[in-house]
Amino acid sequence: MELKKTHIYRYHADHGNMVDFGGYAMPVWYEGIQAEHKAVRDACGIFDTSHMGRTWAEGPDTEKFLNYLITNDVDKLEPYGGLYSVMCKPTGGIVDDLILYKFTPERYLVVYNAGNRDKDFKWMKKNSKDFKVKLTDVSDKVAMIAVQGPKAVETLQKITKEDVSKIGRFNIGEITVSGVKCLAARTGYTGEDGFEVFVLDSPLEKPDKALKVWEDLVGAGAVPCGLGARDSLRLEAGLWLYGNDIDESINPLEAGLRWTVKFKKAGYFIGQKALQKIRDEGVKKTLVGIMLEERGIPRHSYEVLNAEEKEIGVVTSGGMSPTLNVGIALAYLPLEYAELGTPVLVRIRKNLVKGKVVKHRPFYDETQYGWKRDKK
Amino acid sequence: MTDEYKVLDGLYYTKEHEWAKKLGGGLVAVGIDDYAQGQLHEIVYVELPSMDAEVTQGGAIGAVESVKAVSDMYSPVGGKVVEVNEALLDSPEKINEDPYGEGWIAKIEASSLDADLKKLMDAKAYREFLKSL
Repeated sequence: MELKKTHIYRYHADHGNMVDFGGYAMPVWYEGIQAEHKAVRDACGIFDTSHMGRTWAEGPDTEKFLNYLITNDVDKLEPYGGLYSVMCKPTGGIVDDLILYKFTPERYLVVYNAGNRDKDFKWMKKNSKDFKVKLTDVSDKVAMIAVQGPKAVETLQKITKEDVSKIGRFNIGEITVSGVKCLAARTGYTGEDGFEVFVLDSPLEKPDKALKVWEDLVGAGAVPCGLGARDSLRLEAGLWLYGNDIDESINPLEAGLRWTVKFKKAGYFIGQKALQKIRDEGVKKTLVGIMLEERGIPRHSYEVLNAEEKEIGVVTSGGMSPTLNVGIALAYLPLEYAELGTPVLVRIRKNLVKGKVVKHRPFYDETQYGWKRDKK
Repeated sequence: MTDEYKVLDGLYYTKEHEWAKKLGGGLVAVGIDDYAQGQLHEIVYVELPSMDAEVTQGGAIGAVESVKAVSDMYSPVGGKVVEVNEALLDSPEKINEDPYGEGWIAKIEASSLDADLKKLMDAKAYREFLKSL
């Protein structure tokens, strides 16, 4: 099967090292994962995220539909506000995590994971039947570029007419980048300040506008980054990767996403009954962060053991943190091991490597790295 | 594509892209080759074999990890591990920079060197092998 291409494919093919990522031809790195990772923590990097799903939800019942679909509450959202949430199966299992942006009460943009594009759209469509809402998948008509890092504002500003610093965290604004109409949301998947820029009216067949924005961002000093750095950055920030850390067998209460579940909001939402039961009975396991105290790199599916060397869980995401230069991991462990400082072991091939449970959202010191860092 | 990788004359190679170099007196230095380091890119961790470990030809002796991938390393010759390159623990990137020099991984006292070397490729054969990939 031929790989799908994104709007920015032409640039990637010329400059990047390409892989098959969920059916899309995507760059893992251009110059190197560590350099790209550092560029985002220290300055500004850009990522093509056009493989993600983007759907407009429009019509008089849009808010009622969304509140039925997702666990979070859209009622308090102001126009041009964004909201992170999950949507669940009736069992409480996570269908996907997503971000909604409100433009008017009758017009929302829904952004979700690349690997779930078909599944999510079908799921939304199927559950929208009783509502007056129209769903339009524009993933192939709108490109998406993430501009991330402490210098993201400064970089994007160089090629934008409007004052981008006025777009607040998790808000979205209409801007003109390189003369092209875009939406810019102050969001991202790296832990850093930055934007996710939606290049409007840039169809896959004629992606000139998206390529122009990308090239101009590079010209403005942004470092092109591949999926490798995207993964190491999100892991350091402790952000969930669908398919690794969350899936339909995991519910938001055990995933550390309790804050996205609003049991008291108006109306019923899919999974509410199951989640209430889970809440009342209490979860059995929870997602924790592990930092190794010895050399080694924990990776997806490696066993986690307690100090008595009994298996207590598996690593869902792991890697070497380029910022901290130690192995870090996410894993589901029984509640009694969730306390910070609890010693654990990770089986790396034949070795049991010592580590401990640490604060993981994010793993790094927030006064030094990330969007909350102390401004100089 | 494979012409860009350096293959040194005088060394012996495996299909898994390890190299072996005769040091005299039955002693053999081993490592991973330029092709292997190029495929892995950015090496960030090396699991060295244990000192004095008895290894068989083709047996696992450690692992080399990049940011994205783990690659097991197999011994090109059988024998006893008599030295490991501990400098790699702090500077695993030496394997990227100098895979046949400072990036050596271990030294092995070979138990049946001649028989083992016969099963490996010389530089000429290995260059042909790389072309076939």
